[in-house]
Amino acid sequence: MYTFRPLLVKLVPKVRLKGLTLVGTVMVLFTVFLAILAPILTPYDPTKSVDLSLQPPSWKHPFGTNKVGQDMWSRTVYGARTILAVVFLSTIVSIVIGVPLGLVSGYVGGILDRVLAMIMDAMYAFPGLILAIAIAAAMGPGIINTAVSIAIVYVPTYFRMVRGQTLSIKEQLYVEAARAIGAKPLTILTRYVFPNVVSVIAVVFTLSVADVVLTEAALSFFGLSVPAPTPDWGFDLKAGHPYLLSGYWWLITFPGLMIMILAVGFTFIGEGVAEYLGAREVKI
Amino acid sequence: MVDSLLNIKNLKTYYFTESGVVKAVDDVTLGIRRGELLGLVGESGSGKSTLGLSIIRLVPPPGKIIDGSVFLDNMDLMKLSEKELRKIRGRRIGMIFQDPLTCLDPLRRIEDQMVETVMVHMDVERDEAREMAAKALERVGISRDRLKDYPHQLSGGMRQRAMIAMATMLHPELLIADEPTTALDVIVQSKIMDLLEDLKESMKMSILLITHDLALVIERADRVAVMYAAELCEVGTSEQISQDPLHPYTKLLLESIPDVEAPKTKLKSIPGNPPDMRNPPSGCRFWPRCPYAKDICKKTPPKLAELNGRIVRCHLYGEGERG
Amino acid sequence: MLKFLFLKVTRIFSETEVASLKAFIIARALALIPTVLILVTLVFFVMRVLPGDPVIAIVGMKAPPERVIELKKELGLMDEAGNPIPLPIQYLNYLSKLVRGDFGKSLIWGKRPVLVEIMEHFPATVELAIAGFIVSIILGLVLGSLGGWMGGKTSSAVKTYGAITYALFIPWIGMLFQLLFAVWLGILPVAGRIDTGLEPPTITGLYLIDSVITGRWDSFMSALRHITLPALTLGLVISGVFTRVTRTSVEEVMRQDFVVAARARGIPEHKILLHVLKNSFVPILTMMGLQLALLMTGAVLTETTFSWPGMGTFLLERIQYRDYTTVQGTVVFFAIIVSLVNLIVDICYAYIDPRIRY
Repeated sequence: MYTFRPLLVKLVPKVRLKGLTLVGTVMVLFTVFLAILAPILTPYDPTKSVDLSLQPPSWKHPFGTNKVGQDMWSRTVYGARTILAVVFLSTIVSIVIGVPLGLVSGYVGGILDRVLAMIMDAMYAFPGLILAIAIAAAMGPGIINTAVSIAIVYVPTYFRMVRGQTLSIKEQLYVEAARAIGAKPLTILTRYVFPNVVSVIAVVFTLSVADVVLTEAALSFFGLSVPAPTPDWGFDLKAGHPYLLSGYWWLITFPGLMIMILAVGFTFIGEGVAEYLGAREVKI
Repeated sequence: MVDSLLNIKNLKTYYFTESGVVKAVDDVTLGIRRGELLGLVGESGSGKSTLGLSIIRLVPPPGKIIDGSVFLDNMDLMKLSEKELRKIRGRRIGMIFQDPLTCLDPLRRIEDQMVETVMVHMDVERDEAREMAAKALERVGISRDRLKDYPHQLSGGMRQRAMIAMATMLHPELLIADEPTTALDVIVQSKIMDLLEDLKESMKMSILLITHDLALVIERADRVAVMYAAELCEVGTSEQISQDPLHPYTKLLLESIPDVEAPKTKLKSIPGNPPDMRNPPSGCRFWPRCPYAKDICKKTPPKLAELNGRIVRCHLYGEGERG
Repeated sequence: MLKFLFLKVTRIFSETEVASLKAFIIARALALIPTVLILVTLVFFVMRVLPGDPVIAIVGMKAPPERVIELKKELGLMDEAGNPIPLPIQYLNYLSKLVRGDFGKSLIWGKRPVLVEIMEHFPATVELAIAGFIVSIILGLVLGSLGGWMGGKTSSAVKTYGAITYALFIPWIGMLFQLLFAVWLGILPVAGRIDTGLEPPTITGLYLIDSVITGRWDSFMSALRHITLPALTLGLVISGVFTRVTRTSVEEVMRQDFVVAARARGIPEHKILLHVLKNSFVPILTMMGLQLALLMTGAVLTETTFSWPGMGTFLLERIQYRDYTTVQGTVVFFAIIVSLVNLIVDICYAYIDPRIRY
C-alpha cells in the first residue's frame, strides 16, 4: 500500500499542466458540479410535467420544455446524476470483477490463464455496445442492471491490463525473493503485485471512461437504461428526435451537448495521462 | 590542398531547438584527399555526425546549415538544387550509418532496395541492376542467395555489410561512415574495417570514418581529425597524432585508451563533461577540462594554426609560444 | 490426449510459430473457431441465465398455461413431451442447429427463420459500414499523414481533432447534420435509404452498386443522396482513431534511420514517402481491424438516427418486440461476422509485414 500514494501524488501535478488536460478536467468537474448541486440549480421537478409542451427557450425555461411539458433545463441538470451514477457503478463492478481475475490469471498462469485470456480476448474484440445491448435487453431497465451490462463489457479491458502488469511484475526479483522466503501466493498478490497494479487501474480508467459514458448514452438512447421519467440525456435525445423536422431544435441540443462535454472532457484528461506515460509501455 | 577530393570550408550547422540554438558545427574547414581514410574523432555531442550529414545536406530539422561551402571537385554542394544533389548522393558520395537494422527498410527485400538505388541513378534494365546488386553483395562477402532476404533475416554484421554494399555499389568517390562499427562486437568490427579498407583500395575510394573510438582510427586511418565542441582542434597523420599529440584534448583521449600491455591501473577518463552547445564556454571551449588552461584560454578563442603540415587550435601553439 | 490437443490449439491461438503465409492463414482460421464458440456461448448464457423470465415478458402474466407451454417448446426450453430441458442440453441443441445454419425462428409475425430476416437487413448495414469506413479512411489518412509529415502545430491540431471526434455521440452529430442539411438547408434527405419506388433490382443488395450495374441513374442519385449524411456522420466519428494512429505512425517512421539512409542514396522524396507510408501502414492496419468493433457500434447508432433499414435498426426493433430468438440470433451473427473480418485483417497484416509470420 505504500507505493500507492506516492504514485498518485506524482501523477496528478504532472498531468494537470497541459492545456487540453486542464480543459478536460474543467469540463468533467462542471458536470459533477451540476450533478451534485442539481436541486439548488433547478426550479422544477424534472420528472413532472410543469408547463405547456414544446415551448422554446425562454426566461422561464432556459432550455425550453419537451413534449410532455417537462422543463428541459431541470432534466439536463439532473441527467448528470443519472449518467455519472451509472458510470461510477459500472466502473466499480468492472474493477471488482476484472482486477482480481487479471491478478489471479496472470499470477497462476497455466491452463486457467490461457482459457481465461482467450475468453477475455474474444469478448474484447466484440463490439461492446452490441454486447451491452444484448445484456441490458435481457436484464431489463434499471440503474443497477444498466451498470452491470456496461460493467461486463469493460471487464476484459481491466482484465488484460492487470494481467499484463501482473505478468511483468511476477518476473521481478523481489517477487522471487518473497517466494523464496515462503510467502503464500495470496500474500504476494496483495502486498507486492497489487500496489503496482493500482496505477495501471487508474490509467485504464481514465482511458476508457469516455467510452463508458458514450455506451450509457447509447443504451439510454435505445431505451435500455433507466426507466422513463428519470432524466437521462440519451433518452431525451431519442425523445426529441422526431420533432427535429418541425424545427424544435432545443429538445436535442442541450442533452447532446452535455454528453459531448462529459465525453470529450474525459477524453482530454485521458490524452494528458497518455502523453505523460508516453515513454512507458502502457497500451490498451 | 594536395589532391583533395572534398573541401569543407567554414561550415556552420546549427540546431534551432525550443530550448535554444545548438551550435553543432561551428566554422569547420577540412579537406579529404583522394584515396585516404580520414578518421573524424570526437565525443558524442562534438558535432562529428552532424558534420557528416551536412556534407550531403541531410541534417534533420530543426538543424540548418547556415554558412559555408563543401566543394566536390569545383562544385559547391551547398549551392546545388535538391535534384542535382540527389544525383550526387549514392553515386559520388555514399553514406553508411550506425544501426544497420533500422537503416534498411524492414518491409522490403535487400534486392529491391539495392535495385531501386541503381535504377534511380542509372538508366539500365532491371535485370542488369539485379546483376549489379548481386555483384555488390559478393564484393562484401555475402552470397547472392541472400538477395531475396529481408533485413531481419541477416545477422548484425551481414546487415552492415549489406549497407556497405548498397552505399558503394555505384562506386562513389567518397564514403561517409558514421559510427559503422559501434553497434557490433569487436571481432565483427575488425572484419568490417578490413572490408572497408579493401574497398578503399580496390575502388580508389576515400572514406570519412566518423567515430568516438580513437584507437580504431589510429589503427586504420591515414589521417586523423579531432573534433571538440563543434570545432576541429587537431588534424594530422595517424602516426603524428598517436606519437606526438599536440592538443591537450588529443593527449587526454590517447591516455584514456586502455593499454593491454601496461600493468593494472585505473581507467583514465577525461574529467568534466562536454559543454552545452547552446552556451559554449567563452574563449577556448576546452578550457574547463584542460590541465594546461591559462588566463588567455578563458578569454580568447584560439585560432587554427599550421605546424609542420599539421593543424592545431590551441593557445599553446599559436602566437609563437612554441616552435 | 485431449489435454494435449487442447494445449496445442491454445498455443496456436496465442503464438503462431509458422514460417509461411499459408500456414499462418490456416493457423489463424483454426483459431477462429474457439473465438466464435466463446462468443456464441456467452450470448447464449447471457440470454438464458440473466434475471427476467422471457416467456412471461412475451405473453404476459395472464396467459393461459397451454400458451406458455407452447412457447416454451418453441423457445427450446421444453421438449415435445412437455419436460423441461436442462440448460446444457439446450446449449448443445442450439449449437447443433447453428452449425447447420439454423439460427432459430422469429417469435413474431409468422415465425420466419431468423437467418433469412437477418440477411434481408444485412446488405444495408454493409453498405453503410463501407461508406462510413471509406469516409473515415480518407479523413484519417489525409489528416494523419499531414500531421505526421509536417509536425509542429499541424500535428497538434490533428491530435486535438482526433481526440474530439472520438468522443462525439453519433446520434447527436447525426441529428445536428440533419438539422443543418435537411431541415434548415433542405438539400439532403433527413432519413431513409432511398426514395420509395426507386429501389434498384437486387444483385448485391447494395443500392449504390446495383443501381450502377443496372444503369438506373435515378436510383443511384437517390441512394447517394440518402447515404451522404449517415456516411459522413459515421465516418467523422470513426476517423478520430485513424487520424491519431496514422499521425503517430508516420511520425515514428519518419524518424527512423532508413529514411535518412534512403535519402543518402539519392532516392527522390516521393518514393521515400511511399516507403514511409508502407511502413506506417502496419499499425494503421491493426487499428483498422480493431476499429471493426467501433464501426459496428457506430453503424448501429447511425442506423437508428437515420432510420436506415439495417441490422442495427432490426436488432433494436426486435428487442422492443421481445423477439428473443431473433435478438439472440442477430448477436450471434454479429459475432461470426466480426471474427471473420478480424481473420481477414490478420491475414492482410501478415501479407504486408513479413516479420509477423514468424
